[in-house]
Amino acid sequence: MIREFFSELFSGELFRVFVYDFLYFPTVIQIAVIFIFIALLSTTIAYISILVRRYRGHRRDVRRARINPKIDQLITENIILNEGILEDKPIEDITINLEGFRKPLYKKRWVRQALIDRLMEYRKNFVGTIGELLRIVYLELELDKDSFRKMKSPRWERKVQALVEFTSMDFTIADVNILPLTNSKVRELRAEARHAYIKLSKNEPFKFFDIATEPLLQWDQIELFKIITSTKDIAIPNFARWVTYSSNKTVISFCLKLIVYYNQQAAIPAVVKLLDTKDHFLRADAINCIGKMKIEEVEATLVNMYNNQPLNCQIEILKAVGRIESGKYIDFLRQEFLHATDFDLRKNAARSLVRNEWMAKDVIQELMVTSTPDNQLILKHVMNPLIKY
Amino acid sequence: MGKILLVEDDEIMQKVIEKILIREGLVVDVARNGKEALVKLEENNFQYDMMITDIMMPYANGFEIISRVKSEELGKKIPVIIISSVGNEDSVMEGFKLGADDYLKKPIMAGELIIRVKRLLARANNVL
Amino acid sequence: MEESSFWEVLAGFYESTVFVYGTTLLLIYAMLAIFSLIAISHFVKKNAFVDYGTLVASPLAPGISVIAPAFNEAITIISNVRSLLTLNYPQFEVIIVNDGSSDDTLAKMVDEFELQEVEFAYNAKIKTQEVKRFFKSVNPAYSALLVIDKVNGKSKADATNAGINAAAFDYFLCTDVDCILDKDTLLKLVKPVMEEQHKRVIAVGATLRMANSSEIDKGVVVRMKPPKKLLPRFQEIEYIRSFVLGKMGWTLVNSVPNVSGGLGLFDKEIAIRCGGYDYQSFGEDMELMFRMCRYAKDNKIDYAIRYIPLTLCWTEGPETLRIFMRQRTRWARGLAQLMFAHKKMLFNPNYGNMGMVVMPYNFFFELLAPVIEFTGIIYYIVMTILGLINWKYAIVLLIFVYTYSVMITTISILWDQITFRYYKTWREVLLLCVTPFLEFILYHPLIVIFSLRGYYFFLTGKKHTWGDMQRKGFGNKPETKAKVVLAN
Repeated sequence: MIREFFSELFSGELFRVFVYDFLYFPTVIQIAVIFIFIALLSTTIAYISILVRRYRGHRRDVRRARINPKIDQLITENIILNEGILEDKPIEDITINLEGFRKPLYKKRWVRQALIDRLMEYRKNFVGTIGELLRIVYLELELDKDSFRKMKSPRWERKVQALVEFTSMDFTIADVNILPLTNSKVRELRAEARHAYIKLSKNEPFKFFDIATEPLLQWDQIELFKIITSTKDIAIPNFARWVTYSSNKTVISFCLKLIVYYNQQAAIPAVVKLLDTKDHFLRADAINCIGKMKIEEVEATLVNMYNNQPLNCQIEILKAVGRIESGKYIDFLRQEFLHATDFDLRKNAARSLVRNEWMAKDVIQELMVTSTPDNQLILKHVMNPLIKY
Repeated sequence: MGKILLVEDDEIMQKVIEKILIREGLVVDVARNGKEALVKLEENNFQYDMMITDIMMPYANGFEIISRVKSEELGKKIPVIIISSVGNEDSVMEGFKLGADDYLKKPIMAGELIIRVKRLLARANNVL
Repeated sequence: MEESSFWEVLAGFYESTVFVYGTTLLLIYAMLAIFSLIAISHFVKKNAFVDYGTLVASPLAPGISVIAPAFNEAITIISNVRSLLTLNYPQFEVIIVNDGSSDDTLAKMVDEFELQEVEFAYNAKIKTQEVKRFFKSVNPAYSALLVIDKVNGKSKADATNAGINAAAFDYFLCTDVDCILDKDTLLKLVKPVMEEQHKRVIAVGATLRMANSSEIDKGVVVRMKPPKKLLPRFQEIEYIRSFVLGKMGWTLVNSVPNVSGGLGLFDKEIAIRCGGYDYQSFGEDMELMFRMCRYAKDNKIDYAIRYIPLTLCWTEGPETLRIFMRQRTRWARGLAQLMFAHKKMLFNPNYGNMGMVVMPYNFFFELLAPVIEFTGIIYYIVMTILGLINWKYAIVLLIFVYTYSVMITTISILWDQITFRYYKTWREVLLLCVTPFLEFILYHPLIVIFSLRGYYFFLTGKKHTWGDMQRKGFGNKPETKAKVVLAN
């Protein structure tokens, strides 16, 4: 039977087998035959796609590898080694020789993109005069037009690219161009538009905190934090405003971090008020903030509320007492260290005792001798300078 | 006068810092990662007047290189500047604990770098 | 007469069952191919302009504990620990758990990293074999390193659990000391956790690949190459298919069944709450994933498991049939164990995706597939002997299955190339592309047989033997001077 099949197959009767007989095959077999062809075709297409993709990518790499050294050389000669920087002139008086950048090669779109990318790379590493001069190159060569073209693209990832370029180059664009994008359905675009707005908008950069209804993702917080803390001449508002009025928990939590960073003493009353919030995660954040800012006046409140708090807040209170280092609550810490059942509570109590060592020396020595072996081990752990956590 | 070992894996930082320092009349030896840095140090018998290093690099990170330099009789007096994008306090503290003399956070200001390099070099010379 | 008609009915029933089964499987594969393409394109688009440097520089980056158990790894331990210590991340620790090695794994580490025994307050939230000693380095350059010495627990699970107990941060990365990680692994794995809006991401995974023929220098992949030997090369395409097509496809519908033990980022709190890895399991990674999902569902936590289509980890695949057989038998046994233990979740709508998608898929198309294939072959043989087979149709069907499987694998190689142009030369890609043509004939039957062997052991309850895979040792290149310098 097999022989029959193969003789049919190879004796030039392939046609009859697959076309003539095909019509008499059961449906299943017909479908199978069709799918064999589809599979073969797809495999071939896949091969071609791999080929094409790899070739394109390769070509792009080769091109970039060829152009980047040239760009680097121009940047080095005209910006990094610019005589003007040495003479400490104000930026406006420094002349940049842009001859090299104006060669016909730099009219090509892909070369201009390579140039933008490279300028951004440099600006990631350098601020100050060099950073300013890089920005001037971007403006003088009208690379912003390239960025604007991407901004007009219907594809959201192009818009993101444009926004990234503007933000990186500190290129001010009108609010009307960014604001609509901050409501985009695509999260990435929305986030990038927010960053651009905060960085580039001249009026009320922090307006977003008022209107943000969706949670501020951790990733966005990282980016926002960087933008807020690294942008010069941004007017830092009192973040207490949002701690008090915002209904968005992530915004409040983020503002607490900013309050710590800028050590905004004026915001303390708002933070203290937050201790009454029902959300215990937020409360823990507020306690954390108070601890990091070492607000001694609130320490008593924290210790008083300790007993009816959930674990995460209790841990934060213990940490805060350690950070404040007032030495007033050694007994409280000692008590917790000896009697808490939870391991993490004991460990944090011990750590805070050690941080209050200037007042707690005797207590620590006493505990070292009298407490249970387990607790002694905790004390040794937190006192060992080799162990960080 | 003044031979500097620059340890940096980012290509742009590498080139730019090298150029800037050369213009200041310094001699710069570049290592692209931790491994190369250790080889260079050994080959040149720690004869450097200063080391500028990044922290996050393949093979051996900056901390390891600093610890290696500072543990060596010849290397102990080499001033070390860290240039890193890592901004958390722990990392900065670690660097100083290991004996680094200065810490610059990326993005850096070229002018600031030059001033710090010169100051450290001058101080090292005075001690000698 | 009566009897023959009974057999006919049975044969008919069998044939139609297998037909429905086969068709469903093929459709699922086609669907996964589409899902994964959508997920990958979305990933590429949204990460095209992401600057991971922002996370590196941020004081807000969440801390991660990297946990790697080591059992008799003296050859590679130093370079691999060093490679873990040089990961790009602003806030992390590396916990190496020496699982009672009988060689000098521990001594080597003590020597190289200037370790000193410390008194460590260890809280055994998950029960493990006795943990004996803790080591920290006196050199601040290695302050991120913590070495735990414990009594051998005969399983990676037990060792990892000890690491989880000692971990300081909220997330832990589970890996193997013999795995080689990309230097940006932590940055890339933590991002999906940080950008999830409403769900709690309990695990994130990424693609694993074979390290066998790649050029590796002291724990750093210098140049990626497909394995030269056939057996690991089969495994490479199998991994690509399973990760890029399978898990990436499932991630779109939040139904990832498993985050590999070689590389995965986990939510520590949930992992501890559900008791950590099961040291008795033969497939402890998938087992933990199932329990974590179950725990999340039971406690009304809206969870997600994410996958990213990037290769971040290289592992040495078995090169000899014997070791390969041991590995696959173990995996199959683990799967059987797992399905049996969680049979209550099967088609249980209370478990959401887990009960309605993950369990049914894994039960029918992972667990039962080898069994059905095997019976199919027997059926064919019987029919052949009885002379009841229509060879023309049989061969058409065979060709169909063959071309389809080649297509699926080729597509996954293509999808894989979307995120990154893996491999350097065309020859290497071509080498990989022709492998699927042989896979069906040479590799697949092995998988079926080894799986059945695993099921057999599961049913008969054969004693657990923890096959210690012999490592060749990565990066045994001519000693360079740096090595001498690094060795102090």
